[in-house]
Amino acid sequence: MAARLRSLRRGIYLYFRLLGQEMKSILAYRADFIVLLIAAVLVQLVGLAFIGIIFTRIPNIQGWTFWQVVMMYSLIFITEGVGSLFFEGTWWLSWLIYSGEFDQVMVRPVSPMVQVLASKVGFNGLGNIVTGSLLLVVSLTHVSVNWTPVGLLMVLILLVSGATIRVALNLGTAALSFWIKSPHSNVPMFVHQLGEFGKYPITIYSVGVQAVIVLVIPFAFVSFYPTAYVFDQANWALAGWLTPLVAIYCLVMAATLFRRGMRRYESSGN
Amino acid sequence: MGTVPHMRKYFAIARASFEVVFVYRAGFALNMFGTVLYVVAMFYLWQTIFLGKAGALGAFSWPQMKAYLLVAFLTNSLMTWFDEGDMGRDIRMGRIATDLTRPIDFQAKRFADAIGPLPVELSSALLVGAVVVFAFGGIAAPPDPVHAALFVVSTALATLLKFAIVYCVSMTAFWTTGMVGIRVGRTAIQNLLSGAMIPLAFFPDWLRSVAAVLPFQGLVSTPALTYLGQMDGPTTALMIGVQAVWAVALLFAGRALWRRAIKAVTIHGG
Repeated sequence: MAARLRSLRRGIYLYFRLLGQEMKSILAYRADFIVLLIAAVLVQLVGLAFIGIIFTRIPNIQGWTFWQVVMMYSLIFITEGVGSLFFEGTWWLSWLIYSGEFDQVMVRPVSPMVQVLASKVGFNGLGNIVTGSLLLVVSLTHVSVNWTPVGLLMVLILLVSGATIRVALNLGTAALSFWIKSPHSNVPMFVHQLGEFGKYPITIYSVGVQAVIVLVIPFAFVSFYPTAYVFDQANWALAGWLTPLVAIYCLVMAATLFRRGMRRYESSGN
Repeated sequence: MGTVPHMRKYFAIARASFEVVFVYRAGFALNMFGTVLYVVAMFYLWQTIFLGKAGALGAFSWPQMKAYLLVAFLTNSLMTWFDEGDMGRDIRMGRIATDLTRPIDFQAKRFADAIGPLPVELSSALLVGAVVVFAFGGIAAPPDPVHAALFVVSTALATLLKFAIVYCVSMTAFWTTGMVGIRVGRTAIQNLLSGAMIPLAFFPDWLRSVAAVLPFQGLVSTPALTYLGQMDGPTTALMIGVQAVWAVALLFAGRALWRRAIKAVTIHGG
């Protein structure tokens, strides 16, 4: 147990060291980095303007108010930002496998998963996290509830769960490259793009679409269920408590896929 | 550019670019998939809004809104193969040197590149659009054949205008390597101000005035409103004229920018 804990601590330490190196190389191109940040903020402002304009015409969408939809948006953006800023490496995995560069990852005395996760930094994520967080805080002030430390802790748990689900989806679908073996596997991007459905209350979709984003690719637990829970705990208590469980489930599945895949990795040779 | 043998050169470039789409068909399909998910989410969202309203929203009935969304999807699907990234890559890798030595017009070559995939883009967008329309129970048709014909003209101009805009923006590649951020930022602004996300008529007055003096409205709003016949005769003619003027002006602006940029270029290796 103590040994496992030590290796976990070492893994986290090395992850941040590797990520730090990657960040330095990006900061060298300062103009690029600023352009990316501004672009990420612009995308969010445009999204916000879109729902803002819609709500000038109608009071609510099936009972969901402006600030509730803003919170769903903000959760999608923050979790996307966390994925880009800290775990961009998952997008690199298919290339590592295809090109045979994964050999290098295998021979180093550091957890392969740590190396993959820390191998890239997407600085646009910072813009997403900052503006997304601002939107989240503002939308939370429109919840008619007396905030207690426990309540705020639950918001934090829901946020971390949402980010975990998205990173796990990225990692799990990227790990399919161990089987697919093509230079650019499209599965992760396909799944990632389904996030579009997470920006709106799931009640607007047909049963089929709802089934997909609740059961198969659980984006509903990233944005909709956390929002419903925070705004209306009486009716959505179950959804709130299920969210962390779904996150754990996704993470375990992703890690299993990654480990299974690694076992069947054979180098493409150089 | 004028003579026939010259045209043949550019036709060959366009055909090569057309064939490239089939080589990178997975990337093309993925691009398409992203747009499709977006339009499907939009259909659900607006369906909920209109069914809740039981009537029209502003000048739009639900069948008209569906037609609007579909035209937006169609115009957004055209001329997507060429973006700022291409120019960025060519400059960064020094490939631009080859282009400079060739006896061809740089802008015309880019245009040939961009227009090559158009048949694929058009047919796949029409196919996907037909499926979406079928699933959501049909759309409003143009009021008469004249508007239908004008819509085709307006869509062609929108495609040319998009090329002109992207070409101008891509000239920034001579000064920055952050082309991803530039493209994302341009797309965000374009999606809002072209009316792709929401008809300009729903905008607050100040934002509508901003959109009216910029070229972006020619990309989606003008073809869509022409299709629906929502503008009277003189306004339709005027708006299509505005599209044409912007397209020509920006094509020339692009040429001027190119002449300036080429003086700043430093070629690395190649």
